[in-house]
Amino acid sequence: MVQYNFKNITVVPNGKDFIDIILSRTQRQTPTVVHKGYAISRLRQFYMRKVKYTQTNYYDKLSTIIDEFPRLDDIHPFYGDLLHVLYNKDHYKLALGQINTARNLISKIAKDYVRLLKYGDSLYRCKCLKVAALGRMCTVIKRVAPSLAYLEQIRQHMARLPSIDPNTRTILICGYPNVGKSSFINKITRADVDVQPYAFTTKSLFVGHTDYKYLRYQVIDTPGILDRPFEDRNIIEMCSITALAHLRAAVLFFLDISGSCGYTIAQQAALFHSIKSLFMNKPLTIVCNKTDLQPLEGISEEDKKLVMEMKAEAMKTVIGQGGEPTDDQGVLLTMSTLTEDGVIAVKNAACERLLDQRVEIKMKSKKINDCLNRFHVAIPKPRDQKERPPCIPQAVLEAKAKQAAEKEKRKTEKDLENENGGAGVYSASLKKNYILANDEWKEDVLPEILDGHNVYDFIDPDILQRLEELEQEEGLRQAEEVDDDFEMDGKELTPEEQQALAEIRKKKSLLIQQHRIKKSTAESRPIVPRKFDKDKQFTTRRMGRQLSALGLDPSKAIDRARSRSRGRKRERSPDNECGDAMDIDVDTPNKKLRMRSRSQSRSVSRPPGEVVPGEGFKDSAQKVKAQKLAKKSSKKRNKDARRGEADRVIPTLKPKHLFSGKRSTGKTDRR
Amino acid sequence: MPQGDYIDLHRKRYGYRLDHFERKRKKEAREVHKRSQIAQKALGIKGKMFAKKRYAEKAQMKKTLAMHEESSTRRKVDDDVSKGAVPAYLLDRENTTRAKVLSNTIKQKRKEKAGKWEVPLPKVRPVAEDEMFKVLRTGKRKTKQWKRMITKATFVGPAFTRKPPKYERFIRPSGLRFTKAHVTHPELKCTFNLDIIGVKKNPNGQMYTSLGVMTRGTIIEVNVSELGLVTPAGKVVWGKYAQVTNNPENDGCINAVLLV
Repeated sequence: MVQYNFKNITVVPNGKDFIDIILSRTQRQTPTVVHKGYAISRLRQFYMRKVKYTQTNYYDKLSTIIDEFPRLDDIHPFYGDLLHVLYNKDHYKLALGQINTARNLISKIAKDYVRLLKYGDSLYRCKCLKVAALGRMCTVIKRVAPSLAYLEQIRQHMARLPSIDPNTRTILICGYPNVGKSSFINKITRADVDVQPYAFTTKSLFVGHTDYKYLRYQVIDTPGILDRPFEDRNIIEMCSITALAHLRAAVLFFLDISGSCGYTIAQQAALFHSIKSLFMNKPLTIVCNKTDLQPLEGISEEDKKLVMEMKAEAMKTVIGQGGEPTDDQGVLLTMSTLTEDGVIAVKNAACERLLDQRVEIKMKSKKINDCLNRFHVAIPKPRDQKERPPCIPQAVLEAKAKQAAEKEKRKTEKDLENENGGAGVYSASLKKNYILANDEWKEDVLPEILDGHNVYDFIDPDILQRLEELEQEEGLRQAEEVDDDFEMDGKELTPEEQQALAEIRKKKSLLIQQHRIKKSTAESRPIVPRKFDKDKQFTTRRMGRQLSALGLDPSKAIDRARSRSRGRKRERSPDNECGDAMDIDVDTPNKKLRMRSRSQSRSVSRPPGEVVPGEGFKDSAQKVKAQKLAKKSSKKRNKDARRGEADRVIPTLKPKHLFSGKRSTGKTDRR
Repeated sequence: MPQGDYIDLHRKRYGYRLDHFERKRKKEAREVHKRSQIAQKALGIKGKMFAKKRYAEKAQMKKTLAMHEESSTRRKVDDDVSKGAVPAYLLDRENTTRAKVLSNTIKQKRKEKAGKWEVPLPKVRPVAEDEMFKVLRTGKRKTKQWKRMITKATFVGPAFTRKPPKYERFIRPSGLRFTKAHVTHPELKCTFNLDIIGVKKNPNGQMYTSLGVMTRGTIIEVNVSELGLVTPAGKVVWGKYAQVTNNPENDGCINAVLLV
């Protein structure tokens, strides 16, 4: 199926631009650097490539032109004739033929010069040959430039031709100039054809679409035709003649019975009779327009006779279609486009007749037999006169009636709204269906801010449950504390012993606390060797303290340690001189650890590991997962003692242990 | 049928934009600056092409301006007294000037004897032998070097057959054989594609003439029957001499000028 869409033809460049495009493409897409000293085969290949590339490009572009322009013999005869009328078939074919010749010439040139390039023995010679080859190809195109310009003009014009489908339902409007054809098409379709009082306003075919019985019809408006011998017709009239000749359409012949178009009915009748040969096998309707100026009954006798003659002619087509000879309603119609009186009737009549004709043809064709057996509606033959209506059981009828009644009984919010004044006036009470403990609370207003806090932050649907749990825990904890105060061996402790016990307990609890902290942060704390300790925990003074706590004399050990250490800096930081035999200060020295242990303000009523849903997570599990992911992503960095993502410091670029020493046996070829 | 009138139709119905003319004027005024910007910024081959185009435009503009500036002036016309003009009172006397007129045939015969012809290219660059011939090594061990391949354009007649390959010393590759030449008529200034009949003389030596090598300055004989020249006696001229004016091995074609 050839497409009638001529809009897809690629643009034809004009001669000079064509040459520029191809040459610049050659310059861009092929290698550009070559030197005198290269091997001769390489030089030859370099230049041969350029010649070949240019030829290929020319060939491709010219081939697209030749292929995309339609061949006048391959398309529907309507379009073939239309294009012939507009562009003159011979010129068109000549232009395309010239392009074809140019293409072949270019191929030949390229072949010859590639053959010559094989004998090139110097860079200069090869270059001259390439220049000559490209120059000759471009000269061929220069010579063919007028054809290219002509084809570009044709392409532009073709792209704007109206897209008329020659095979679908079509209504064709014809008649003298200025009889009201364009006004009619403006009325029944959305086409916006220029309507002016001078003749030949419409200079080309215009297409509009209209619907009838759920089918789409094409309506084609033609330029007016004058009554002239066939050879004298100009291009514009030839367009309409072509349309009439080739399209199988319903024809509406427009007649201006008021004569305001400037031509008498006699002239119009003469035209009708001269082109009636074109109306064969087409449902013809005579339409008398401008009845607001002159009704059909009021015309003179001769004119009426002429009109009746035309009607008789039109009746012949009805007979030819297989309609009844006496059926003359769709043949002669009157209307006025100005008052829109009878316009729809004309359209319906034309569509109806066209449809009938097409259906007739389809019925007669062979294809219909495939579908015919699908159209059968079986109706049983009545065997007697008894009336047999459809039977619906009584229960179903009752149920239906009840449903209908129910629908009416229930009052919807919409009904309420309509009763009370409509959409803008009545606002529905959204609170009336609230379920509350006390119904009087329904209309209460909930405050949003109280004492500077958002009330919503403190609302918890499970608050009562949580209160219960809290109280339970409190009770348990108090019970535990009471258990703590127990006596050892049933004896009372002396105050010193009690003090010692308290100290021991404190120390133990601190140790446990520190151990817990260490354990909890071990995952994300770098392992720092002892010599880099920031907190200055491992000092000689500490060692002295520990030793003296054990009862040993530390001074010698301290001296030994100090003599070993290299160039200690003077310590600026004040050493905590606490007399206790404790290594750890009362407050944990590491601020970070301190912060961590007094972790975020969390309500004490919650166990430490519990995760509250909130903050955008749909439940605790998701939040736990998110927290895990967060920890996981920072764990590695923390282990490496990096400050953050951006910390990419390499403390030693060449660690000695990796770059020293000889390599032992093994596969290596460098030592 | 005009289908591109939708723009005009719209203008007819709805008129122009309120600022249409001002915008148009301003856009046109800006074109000048844009063009100068492009001229300054375009680099490479694009820049060169643009510069060339622009130069041509400017030259043309200058010419038209100069033409417009020309005014019609009245100059004194100097009528030189033509030689031999005789005052009225001597008109009846016939003064004859004697001159020696040699007939054309005698002139031609003299030229032929001298061997000097008037040709468009009297002197050409001599072509060395190593430029003309390429040595081909043959033999089982590729040691024999007596064969030569001609690297310039040649002409071999239609009845040419090669010597047996074992014995041919000069190889004229078929890719470099030409049969047609683009011959320009010096007076008519038009060029015809004519067949070559033979090589008459190669200025580099008669060995080359006998081999049929065509280099720049070679005199060739071409078939001019399509020009339709006729001798005064009534005979049709079908062969004429022409001189090669280009280097055929560099251009891939033979351009020659007809010797009239």
